[in-house]
Amino acid sequence: MSNLSPRARWAVPAVVGAVVAAAFIAPPLVASASSEELPAISPQQLVTAVAEARDQPLSGTVVYTARLGLPSLPLGDMAGASPVNLLDGSSTMRVWTDGVDRSRAALLGATSEYSVVRDGPQAWTYSSTDDAVVHYVIDAKDRARYDALQQDPPVAGDLPTPAAAASSVLGLVQQFSSVTLDAQSTVAGRAAYNLVVTPKSTTTLIGHVVVSVDAKTSTPLRVQVWDRTSKTPAVEVGFTDIRFATPSDSVLSFSAPAGASSKEVSVPLPETPAAAHSATVPDGTTVTGTGWDTVVQLAGVDVAGLLAGDADALSTVPGSAPAIGSKSGQKLLEEFGADGSSKVRDLDLGTLFGQITKPVPGGRLITTKLVSILVTDDGRVLVGAVPGATLQADAR
Amino acid sequence: MSLAETPTPATAPAPVPSMAAAYWRLQRSELRLVLGRRRNLVLLLGLAAVPLLLGLVLFFTQDTALDGQGPAFLGRVTGNGLFLVVASVFLCLPFLLPLTIGIASGDAIAGEASAGTLRYLLTVPVGRTRLLLVKAVGALAFAAAAVSAIAVVGLVAGAALFGVHDVTLLSGDTVPLGAGALRVLAVVAYVGLSLTGLVAVGLFFSTLTEVPVGAMAATVVVAIVSGVLDTIPALSSIHPALLTHHWLDFAEFLRLEPDWAVIGGGLAVQAAWVAIFGALAWSRFTTADVTS
Repeated sequence: MSNLSPRARWAVPAVVGAVVAAAFIAPPLVASASSEELPAISPQQLVTAVAEARDQPLSGTVVYTARLGLPSLPLGDMAGASPVNLLDGSSTMRVWTDGVDRSRAALLGATSEYSVVRDGPQAWTYSSTDDAVVHYVIDAKDRARYDALQQDPPVAGDLPTPAAAASSVLGLVQQFSSVTLDAQSTVAGRAAYNLVVTPKSTTTLIGHVVVSVDAKTSTPLRVQVWDRTSKTPAVEVGFTDIRFATPSDSVLSFSAPAGASSKEVSVPLPETPAAAHSATVPDGTTVTGTGWDTVVQLAGVDVAGLLAGDADALSTVPGSAPAIGSKSGQKLLEEFGADGSSKVRDLDLGTLFGQITKPVPGGRLITTKLVSILVTDDGRVLVGAVPGATLQADAR
Repeated sequence: MSLAETPTPATAPAPVPSMAAAYWRLQRSELRLVLGRRRNLVLLLGLAAVPLLLGLVLFFTQDTALDGQGPAFLGRVTGNGLFLVVASVFLCLPFLLPLTIGIASGDAIAGEASAGTLRYLLTVPVGRTRLLLVKAVGALAFAAAAVSAIAVVGLVAGAALFGVHDVTLLSGDTVPLGAGALRVLAVVAYVGLSLTGLVAVGLFFSTLTEVPVGAMAATVVVAIVSGVLDTIPALSSIHPALLTHHWLDFAEFLRLEPDWAVIGGGLAVQAAWVAIFGALAWSRFTTADVTS
């Protein structure tokens, strides 16, 4: 029938398999190898370049991975795309920003999506699982002040990009850490410098932080936080692909879809960005320790009410008012957690709380690789990047 | 000298139809067989009943407390009939479609072998490679028919029960009806192409045995095991290569800006499975002893 021997015929699938494997494995290797040599630069120069760089209009895919060592949560994708997923495991987000005050971030579930759209003084969140819209607008009385701020250009979009995470890390740099530059690498297909921040303190849980910065635009591309022992980062957020171009107008605007449930929320504009950075803390909050060992203590929190999904209990948390336009930006979790009350009702939070906390004398303790949280029986909550024992000592 | 003068025996065959024409004749008869077989028609009818039943259930419960509950996309059907197509495809994807594919592709070679017709087919004469190709196209055509049956009935039932309107994407943005219909069409096309890898796997199993039920069951098991492995976090490094891992990526077409890298990646994985298991099926079928 043909002149190929049976042995030769069985070699065909082997060859096909090898070719297929090569086709899937080779491109990433080539991409990571093609990093051109970047000019040498000092850590200080890099930090300055990042601080001075204008926010770029960009769009891209961000992958956020948390390996905090929490007990695995019974959530997964069953609950659809929801900010709760950010607690553990890997999440993918698409982000778009014009680099000024319009942006969109979408947290992707397999067949669902949770979107946060900011268009100047107003913002929306949309959950495809609930078909629910929350529309945030700045208070009428604060509107004039917001418009005035717009005349001062550098009011940045409050987006969970690596830029926001990097800027908060760099704030701690000078005083409490040693800063070095690691070998250059390729992140999201772009040549990047790697800034390594190592705490001088030996009592914090954080081992070191690596910030990868795009060599061309000085945009932070990835932030990795290691604890003291693990071989993989405990928290990692970074672009897997990025394009520096202004997104189309349809992406940066939003109008509520017909038939969706809708909620209007009016939020006060926070104090000027400069004031937000200053050391003033909300009432009921005390801060002890310095640098990486800082412990924040919140008093009078209605923990039981929060766990019952009681929205009023949220007001007992100091400084919990949702804030749009604040550059200090409570970063990732809070960006997505802004309307936590609408999502959490699906979960039995009491059970969840019981699963991830363990009883200790005087309260319940959550320990993760990076952060410990102590909830005392008298309604205080202590949070810090320190071992649980330190929190217990502080609570006394 | 004498050799040259000796007339060679007239081995030139009688004029045969061209290769292509012969292939198409065989292919047409195979397609008629696959799509006309009563068992397969019943399967298609069963699949087509899914969107119909789903639509009727949602229609009669739409004003009750149960409205808007259930898996993804189900809640959107009552607002827009187009989503009945997506919801039906989504519900059939984990089990019903793999079962259908398993039956069609597992039967391809093993069915002929068990009926004792395979050796007659091969004495027609038709090359084994070509026969395998004909069988593969037949199984693929049935897979396409299965997905189309769900989509067409879903579209008709959805339009009749709920009407069709502008499409609300997963991001909450609304696109016009025309663009939305195109996106739903793309979803259906992606799901159809997602099944090609499983067709190749079934075809390979079909060349291994003369018992069609064995090949069918093994094919369904592959799909189910792949789905189970996909849920085990410890195996996350092999997840991207799994047959079923990218099946739900059809949702990409319902996002604001579909990421073509994600869609291309999912189709590339299917192409890889087709290439490997197609080659395995070819090696097996062209080297096996056909005794029945």
